[in-house]
Amino acid sequence: MTDTSPARSKSPLDNSEFWSGAVWLALGAFVTWSGVKLGIGRINDPGSGFMLFYVGILMCVFSVTIMIAAISEGSAGFGALWAGANWRKPLTIMICLAVFAVALEPLGFLLSTIPLLLVLLRAIDPVRWTLTIPIGVLAPLFVWWVLKKALLIQLPSGILEIG
Amino acid sequence: MDTLVNVMQGLGVALQPINLLYCFIGVFIGTLVGVLPGIGPISAMSLLLPVTLSGTPESGIIMMAGIYYGSMYGGSTTSILVNIPGEAASVVTCIDGHQMAKKGRAGPALGISALGSFIAGTFSLVALMLVAPSLANVAIAFGPAEYASLMVLGLVVLTFLTQGSMAKALLMACVGIVLGLIGLDSITAMPRLTFGKLELIDGIGLVPVVMGLFGLAEVLFNTEQAIKRDIIDAKITQLLPNKEDWKASAGPIGRGTVLGFLLGVLPGGGAVVASFASYALEKRLSKTPERFGHGAIEGVAGPEAANNAAAGGAFIPLMTLGIPPNVVMALLLGAFVIHGLQPGPLMITQNPTLFWGIIASMYIGNVMLLVLNLPLIGMWVQLLKLPYNILFPLIILFTIIGVYCSSNNVFDVYVMVGFGIAGYLMRKFGYEPAPLVLAFVLGPLLENNLRKALILSQGDMMTFVQRPISAVCLAVALLLLLGPLLPSFRKKRELVALDEGA
Repeated sequence: MTDTSPARSKSPLDNSEFWSGAVWLALGAFVTWSGVKLGIGRINDPGSGFMLFYVGILMCVFSVTIMIAAISEGSAGFGALWAGANWRKPLTIMICLAVFAVALEPLGFLLSTIPLLLVLLRAIDPVRWTLTIPIGVLAPLFVWWVLKKALLIQLPSGILEIG
Repeated sequence: MDTLVNVMQGLGVALQPINLLYCFIGVFIGTLVGVLPGIGPISAMSLLLPVTLSGTPESGIIMMAGIYYGSMYGGSTTSILVNIPGEAASVVTCIDGHQMAKKGRAGPALGISALGSFIAGTFSLVALMLVAPSLANVAIAFGPAEYASLMVLGLVVLTFLTQGSMAKALLMACVGIVLGLIGLDSITAMPRLTFGKLELIDGIGLVPVVMGLFGLAEVLFNTEQAIKRDIIDAKITQLLPNKEDWKASAGPIGRGTVLGFLLGVLPGGGAVVASFASYALEKRLSKTPERFGHGAIEGVAGPEAANNAAAGGAFIPLMTLGIPPNVVMALLLGAFVIHGLQPGPLMITQNPTLFWGIIASMYIGNVMLLVLNLPLIGMWVQLLKLPYNILFPLIILFTIIGVYCSSNNVFDVYVMVGFGIAGYLMRKFGYEPAPLVLAFVLGPLLENNLRKALILSQGDMMTFVQRPISAVCLAVALLLLLGPLLPSFRKKRELVALDEGA
């Protein structure tokens, strides 16, 4: 669990709890609205939106509770959540995965997975190149062979039809 | 007599070579993920959920169950030797287990942990065999109102036991329900929250959600902090505890087993709560409580027995009522559903070979675990030295492949990446993913039963309080919801509230 005890802020501007509550409040409002749009129905014949409507209301109630607590008791600022943590590593992985997700279909499994693994092996905690290259190339190739050739699972081959 | 016949029938299934192989793979992977800090049974089970598609339902479920109880064994090795819990249920084992190892008693600590786990695991299986069929007979009488109330209770108990703010845990449960409702309405066939995307018509898959929230998010969370490992390097000798060790441990193992089993059966409870409760109980009962925290063998024996007994007990609500009491069991329910099976009161009578086969395999699995965890302890110690900078990229690769293979759909990979990032941010902001996943699985069942109950009672809400079982469930849920408003009750909750995530 994240220790949010240091640097507690009551100001709504740099208050992580307040803003996370606000995001959930917006989502709760959207769910409630979706429930209404789908039709709540009657109590003896609940409609498709019945559950969504009431769960959306509950989400709003809990979000507001979190926001009120954040203002009255204070909470850690955004910076404090990543204090002492190396935030660059998860951020790098997230960017790599986002790029991978976009590239997977057009480039295919092999051409997107090999670069992903090479980058991850160097980005998380650099592995020496003599290990990075064999692991980064052979692991996806091995998996591709097992899935495509042994288990006959269709993998995306991309516009270049590689893999 | 019937039970004995059923057990023999179950053994016939469990002893088939293919099922023995799956059982071994399950307990081996379970021990592996238990040993490796940062990866828990939830991540491993979600990773292997697609693999279960390739075999028979028995084989797949035997393997998944093996991962769960196997991780309970493996987790203690890391706790004792490295002082890092291999998985959440072994947190408490670190306290006295590592102290014993530092004093040169790693062998007896590992030995009592494995033997205590074996005794507790075996007891919980016998209890499961005796209790489950009787409870299933009672559960046949359950109607939609009882089921809806039981699910509400399960969700409330889990949110009550989740670390941190209860409002956040309840919010997570609501988000899980909403995510579970995406797709076609099972009664009116109307698409809900699909945003015109064909991929969402069948809803979001359990595999990408769990792999994202637990597998990927766990890696993201672990990479931002340096994992320090203080491995006990001395040669581990004399694994079998001596006479004094047994004398000191017999009581804690017995009490831990009973307590763990009972807590495992309760909805929302589980191995983590059981291990902490057992530690607290042993410390309170001890004539020399000051030894706890400094290498008391009772502090290892009790909690290790409790978490294994709880792992067995947790199968009861799933097998007899079809309601998963925790996230691990929710994943197991997912495995049943993938194979077109619905666990519940009718499963034992309609599919006895499956039920008794799973039970019998668990007994065999416990024996396998004893062999894996005592004579092969050196192998697991070596594994603890595996560098994380190689392990984490490979885990990411396997999550991607696991998700893709579960549906042959790239969209699920996007969903997994999205939930991975969301899961990481949720942890940073103090939102636990466990209630979300349980609610995600229970949400559609809850909605279905709630709507059916209302239709059957012609809109009379009193149906939920006029039926005794439903009324009791709702009363307990209400007590747990309102309880934290009282300062003394809140303190108690903070003591038992735990991180179930790992």
